[in-house]
Amino acid sequence: MIAPPAARVAMLVCLTLPACALAARLSASVHGGDGKPLPNAVVVAAPEDGRLPPLTKTTEVVDQIDKEFVPYVKAVRAGSYVQFPNKDNIRHHVYSFSPPKKFELPLYSGTPAVPVLFDKPGIVKLGCNIHDWMLGYIYVAETPYFGKSARDGRVEVDQLPPGRYQVRVWHPLMQGSETATVQRVELRDETPTRVEWTLKLNPEYRPRRTPLPGEPGYR
Amino acid sequence: MAPRLLTCWLCCVVALYSGTARSEWGFDATGGFTYDDNLSNAFEADERKGDTAAVVDLAGGYRQQLGDSTSLGLSLLGTSQSYLHYTGLSNIGLGARALLRTKFGLGAEAPWLALAAQGVYHNYHDDNLDGWSYEAGATLGKRFGDRWTVSGSVRYDAYVANSTPPVIIPGLSGSPYDVYGWNVGVQARFLATESDLVSLSYNWRTGTVTSVTEPDLEVLEYSDRVARTTIFGSPEIAYRINANTQTIGIAWSHTLGQHTAFNVAYAYRRSQADSELGAYYANVISITVSYSY
Repeated sequence: MIAPPAARVAMLVCLTLPACALAARLSASVHGGDGKPLPNAVVVAAPEDGRLPPLTKTTEVVDQIDKEFVPYVKAVRAGSYVQFPNKDNIRHHVYSFSPPKKFELPLYSGTPAVPVLFDKPGIVKLGCNIHDWMLGYIYVAETPYFGKSARDGRVEVDQLPPGRYQVRVWHPLMQGSETATVQRVELRDETPTRVEWTLKLNPEYRPRRTPLPGEPGYR
Repeated sequence: MAPRLLTCWLCCVVALYSGTARSEWGFDATGGFTYDDNLSNAFEADERKGDTAAVVDLAGGYRQQLGDSTSLGLSLLGTSQSYLHYTGLSNIGLGARALLRTKFGLGAEAPWLALAAQGVYHNYHDDNLDGWSYEAGATLGKRFGDRWTVSGSVRYDAYVANSTPPVIIPGLSGSPYDVYGWNVGVQARFLATESDLVSLSYNWRTGTVTSVTEPDLEVLEYSDRVARTTIFGSPEIAYRINANTQTIGIAWSHTLGQHTAFNVAYAYRRSQADSELGAYYANVISITVSYSY
C-alpha cells in the first residue's frame, strides 16, 4: 500500500526531526603549558562503535600567501582532496615527506590543475623547496567529526550522532603523543559536552627568513 | 668604468625582471655600529688606532628561479661607513652582486651550493684610497636537523685602488692599498631558541694586507709597496706585506618579527706576517639591525 503524499511528508518529518533534535555537540578548550589559549589544535571525535557516515568528495584548500602556508594547520577527512593555490606572484615548490602522503608539486604558479588526494589518516608536514622557512600541516582524520581551535583555543564540533566517543587533540608542537590525550565521552543531546586539554609545547625551529648581516636571504 | 659597469648590471636586472613575472624582488638592509680596535693593522701597541663607525649595507634586486632547485639573483649594493674620529676612512660604496644558488635534492636539509661574485666601488674622497673591491667564491652548506646549519666556503678577495701614490722610496712603487687574498672558512649556526641564532665562524686568509706605521726602516725591508698617509692624523706610512690572517667570530642574532633581526657580533683577527715583523691582532664588535623585505 502506498501512503498518500501528505502522510509521506509527515513520516519524513517524523523521521528527520528526532535525528536533528538528537544531534550532539562537543565543546573543547585547548591551552598551552603557559595557560594561554592555543590555536591550531585539531580536536577529533572518533565514534566507539566505528560507525561513520559515507565519504562525500570534498576539495579543501591550503593557500600560499606572502611565502607562508595559509592556514598553518588544515584538518581534512581521509579521502579528501586538497588544492594548493599559489597566491604569491612568485613560484613555489610544495612537497611532503610524511608517510601518510608523500608528494611533490614542482615549481609552479597559480593553481595546480589536479588537487592532491589525502587518503590515509595521519599528519602530513608541508614544505616549500624554494622558501625553506615555509611550514604547514595537514591533519588527515579518519572521521568527519573534527575541528580546529581558534585564537581563543576553543573548538566546537557539532552535528555529531549521539553515542560514545573517544576524543583526542593534536597540535604540531605538542609534547608526547596524540593517543595520550584520548578522553572517553558520551554525547547525548544538543547540550555541549565540554572537554579540556592543556598541552606542553616544543619550540618550533624554522629556518630563518630574515638574513644575517652581509648575507643574502633565501627568499 | 664604474658607471658603465653599474649601467650594464642595471640592464641585466631589468631584463631579468621584465622577462617573467616569476622573478622575486627582494631588499635587504643592515644598519648599526661597528668598532675595530686596530684599524691601522699595527704591530706595535702604541700605533693601534681604534674607532667606531656607523655602517649601512643595502642590497636590492631580483631572484630568478632557473629550475626546480637553482636560482640566480642579481642585486645592486650600497654601502656606507662613517667613522667618528678617523673620518678619512669614511666611505660610500656602490656595486653589484650575482648569486647562483643550487640545492642538491628536496627539502630544507638538502645540501646547497652558492656561487657568488660581487664588485663594489668605494669612494673615500681620496684618490689614493678610492677603488674597487671584488669578491668571488663558493659556499657549500647543509642543515642538520632543525637547529644546526654548517657551511664551508672558499673565496677570493681583492681591492684595487684607482691611483698610485707618489713614489717615496725607489723600488717600492705602486699602491699599498692594492691587496688580495684567498680565504677558506667554516661556519656553524645553531638555533638556540625559536628566535635566537648563534653563529661560530673561522676564516683563514692568505694574501696581502695594508698596515700603517710611523716611518720605520724595518718595515721597508719586508714591504713591496709604500706610500705616505695622513689618514690617522699625523704623517705616517702605509705599507703592504704578505700575511696569513685567521679570524674567529661569534655572533648572536635575534629575530624581531618576520622581517627584522637584531645582531651582535664579535670577531678576533690575528695576522701573522710572512716576515719577521711578527703578528698583529684586532678585536671587532658590531651591533646591527637587519631588515629583509
